[in-house]
Amino acid sequence: MNTLLIARNTFREATRDRVLAGVLAAGLVLLAATQVLSPLALGEGRRLTVDLGLSGVSILGLMVVLLVGTSLVAKELERRTIFNLLSRPIARSSYLVGKWLGLSSALWVLAGFMSLALCLVLATHGAGSFAPGVAEAAYLTGLELMVVTALAVLFSALSTPVLSALYTLGFYLVGQWSYDLRSFGEHLPTVAGRLVGMIADLAPNLPLFNARAIAAGGHLTSLHHLGFATLYALLYAGCVLSLATAAFESRDFK
Amino acid sequence: MRRLEVVAARFGVAPWRARFLSAWALALLLGGGACCVAGAAYRRLPRPEPLEELSYYPSGRHLRLVAIGHPETAADLAWLRAVQYYGEHRETDMRFARMRHVFDILTTLAPDFVPAYVFGGFALAQEGRDVDGGARLMLKGVEANPMSGLMAFELGFFYYVRPGGRDLARAGEYFEQASRQADAPPQAARMAAFAHQNAGNLAVAYELWRAVLDRSPNRYLREMAERQMKLIRRALTQGRLELAIKRLGVPQIVVRGRP
Repeated sequence: MNTLLIARNTFREATRDRVLAGVLAAGLVLLAATQVLSPLALGEGRRLTVDLGLSGVSILGLMVVLLVGTSLVAKELERRTIFNLLSRPIARSSYLVGKWLGLSSALWVLAGFMSLALCLVLATHGAGSFAPGVAEAAYLTGLELMVVTALAVLFSALSTPVLSALYTLGFYLVGQWSYDLRSFGEHLPTVAGRLVGMIADLAPNLPLFNARAIAAGGHLTSLHHLGFATLYALLYAGCVLSLATAAFESRDFK
Repeated sequence: MRRLEVVAARFGVAPWRARFLSAWALALLLGGGACCVAGAAYRRLPRPEPLEELSYYPSGRHLRLVAIGHPETAADLAWLRAVQYYGEHRETDMRFARMRHVFDILTTLAPDFVPAYVFGGFALAQEGRDVDGGARLMLKGVEANPMSGLMAFELGFFYYVRPGGRDLARAGEYFEQASRQADAPPQAARMAAFAHQNAGNLAVAYELWRAVLDRSPNRYLREMAERQMKLIRRALTQGRLELAIKRLGVPQIVVRGRP
């Protein structure tokens, strides 16, 4: 119950933030830009629209996480509102999970709006059949943003906003290269290969959440893929939030 | 949580330490599960070709790294650049020295981008005067998209009209490969039979015409298949293969400036 109350407040705070409105506006401008660029794409305008539109959801969502998510806890510490909260019978884990849930919900709304706008643009061009693929890719992007938000909450509970943003961005980059790391590790000698494999395991496996190329081809991904991605996102986010709780428990606010 | 604290107190462990340890235990459990799922997904799900030769060979593969998870968007930008490059040089000096590299980068970033292989292959062969480069690019497309009938058909067509001389045997081979895929153009089977017949592979051509006869819903095509089969039978029984083999003219697409 406490978790949901904190989530609701965080959601309200995030949606009232100018950053979210600005990002939404930037997303719509990006969609408009795809329409300007489409005639230059020699018949591949539809592909360009889907690719750029979905990449926009992912990149702009990441921006929201970096700008809003990384200062979630720090802002409350700075305003000292956290003392009011934690002096009540609210578990620190509830507080962190609530923060994560609230910002994740705001990001789902953002991803939903932008993918809906993308589907409308596609429908006006007679490509409504791309909508299911776009919806799947947007769902996976939402999961990806949930995982990145969990990381932002972890670092936000540990460090300053600027450092949290840098750490989150670093994990995002390593996460995007995790498949390449795995593949690279397979070609290295045993010990070094295992080490690289471990790094790939620790990093968020973000390529799992990429179905943009599939959607741009007008295809659907498999239920297997969606299932794996959902399970992985929940487990990884759960793990990161548990670590955040452990770190937060050991912090002394006196 | 309270129950945990009570149990911890019984063992003389401070409540905050109990919460700290249980959070770590949960993190390890969930993290282990996440690693297993990630490993299984990596092994079981299809994924883009990884960067096996990372940092050893300078090619479009490096751009996949720089694209930080958005290679398809980078490919779109590369496609726009490729079209601009082609247009600029076609309008001005007709020199396409970097075109092979541009299309290599593009198709490495988006291996399933069939129109890029087709456009790049024909542009390289015709305007770029690089017939081998064009063929290589299209072969890369067939290797990356083995289930694409359209890609195989276009490669067959490339060999069929290849600047500098047709290669009917290869054209027939790829038309035949295309005809086995669901998304192949309807004329793939007929083109396969026609190419094989005029390449001199009469036995293969006979079987392909028979497939057209059996499967085509088009009466005109079935009649054509019957005529061709009759012609091949006559050529084979009389030992005069030239009866069934047409001497095709030089392809219409010719390399500029070449005699």
